[in-house]
Order: sequence, then structure tokens, then C-alpha cells
Amino acid sequence: MACESACCGNAPRRVVSDLFDRGYRRNRLAPFAVQGATLRDANDLTASFSLDIADDTVRDIRFQVSTCITLIAYSELIVELAAAKGARAAAVLSESDLVSALPDVPLLKRDRAVLAINAFRAALKAAFISQTGEAA
Amino acid sequence: MKVAYIFATSRHTVSYVLAKMILPQLEENRHGVDVVGMFFFEDNNYVLMKGNPTGERLHKVAKKTGMLLMGCDQCCYEREIADKLLEGVPIGCFPDLYKALSGNMPDQVITL
Repeated sequence: MACESACCGNAPRRVVSDLFDRGYRRNRLAPFAVQGATLRDANDLTASFSLDIADDTVRDIRFQVSTCITLIAYSELIVELAAAKGARAAAVLSESDLVSALPDVPLLKRDRAVLAINAFRAALKAAFISQTGEAA
Repeated sequence: MKVAYIFATSRHTVSYVLAKMILPQLEENRHGVDVVGMFFFEDNNYVLMKGNPTGERLHKVAKKTGMLLMGCDQCCYEREIADKLLEGVPIGCFPDLYKALSGNMPDQVITL
């Protein structure tokens, strides 16, 4: 596994700042056809995810979320952890996975992980319904 | 009058203006106004790290007066110091700053 610390220069790192830089660009892309509900939390932040999904594999993920550094970083982390996985494997991803992956996020900001993961699950649910016609 | 300071530039802003002028005046209760909040951008956030002598003094004043101290979240994440700040000092963006100040709104916001 490549070193993800600052000592290793420009290699992509999974830290909030770098995830935000990558996620900021993704946040401005048009959504894929399979789109989950837009969720809103108590801080008035919103999040929705969309999927490029085929043969039960999540080929790519996009999102449109409020401009909050932490929320965008968590959303980008979901993309990097769940893309190219089977839908069921992606659905196992939890907010605790996100929180433990970014331990420097202060406690007060960790609720963004809940919003992001719930919005991602809403997209998986939308994908399931579009494929089967049934609620998950 | 109530004021809030935004430390946006990185010259002598913290090491001189804050550490040698504003902070000593606050400690001596002769700054002339009530400082209800301070918000830090860019490298100025290093003053909020645990163990920083100026930050520790500032923290003491903040605890005594209820003054808000907040770091820019992206600035702190970028410098990888978000989890190394003085106890109870939050990071945030403008919505967080306005929300935190909403119960004690400044009359003037001064950018340094």
C-alpha cells in the first residue's frame, strides 16, 4: 500500500483536504440517470447521490451536496470506497467506516458522515427499484 | 461596542497585532470594546494549536469572557491541524461562524 502521508508528495491521499479537492470537482458534474432522493439534515445541509450502475456493479458515483468541506470530503470518500464494487458490497459501507477513515474530523462535524451515507443508500435504493420495480 | 476580528492576512497579524497589542489589552481589560469572536484564516490557524503560547493565553481570555474562537475548517484540514487545536475550539465555515455569533452579534467585524 502506498504511503498516504504528506512526505510522499503528490500521491492521492485520503485526508479531508485532498478528498475535498477531488470531491469539489465531482460535486459540479451532472448527475447520472439513477438518482437518489435529496436528503437534508438539521444543519440545513443537503446531499444526493447518483449512480452509473450495470450488472449489479456500481461503475461510477456522483453527488451533489451542500458546500461544506467535511460533507464533500465524506461524499468523495464514499465514491472512492464504493465505486467498482457490487451494489450489495457498497451498501455495507457505513458512517463509522467514514468516520474512522478520517480521524481528524472534529466530533461536531462527524454528523456529515450520516447525511452522506444516508444519501448514498437512497441512491442504491433508487437503483434497486429501477432494476426490480420493487422497494429494497 | 461589540466587535469580531477576522484574521485574514498572514504578515504580522497574529505575531504582532494580536499577540503584542490586542491580547495584552484584553488581558488587562482595557481593549476598549467587547471582543465577541475571532476567526482565523490560513496560517493564522497555527495560533490555535495546543501548546502555542499566544493561543493558550487567548484561550484563557476566551474562557473567561465567552469570546468565540474559531478556525477556518478547510485551512485547518489543509494543514492537518484540525485535531490538534486548543480544547473546545471549533472549526467551521461562514455559516458556522454566523450561527455561533448569532446569540451575541458584533456591531462591527474587523478584518486584519
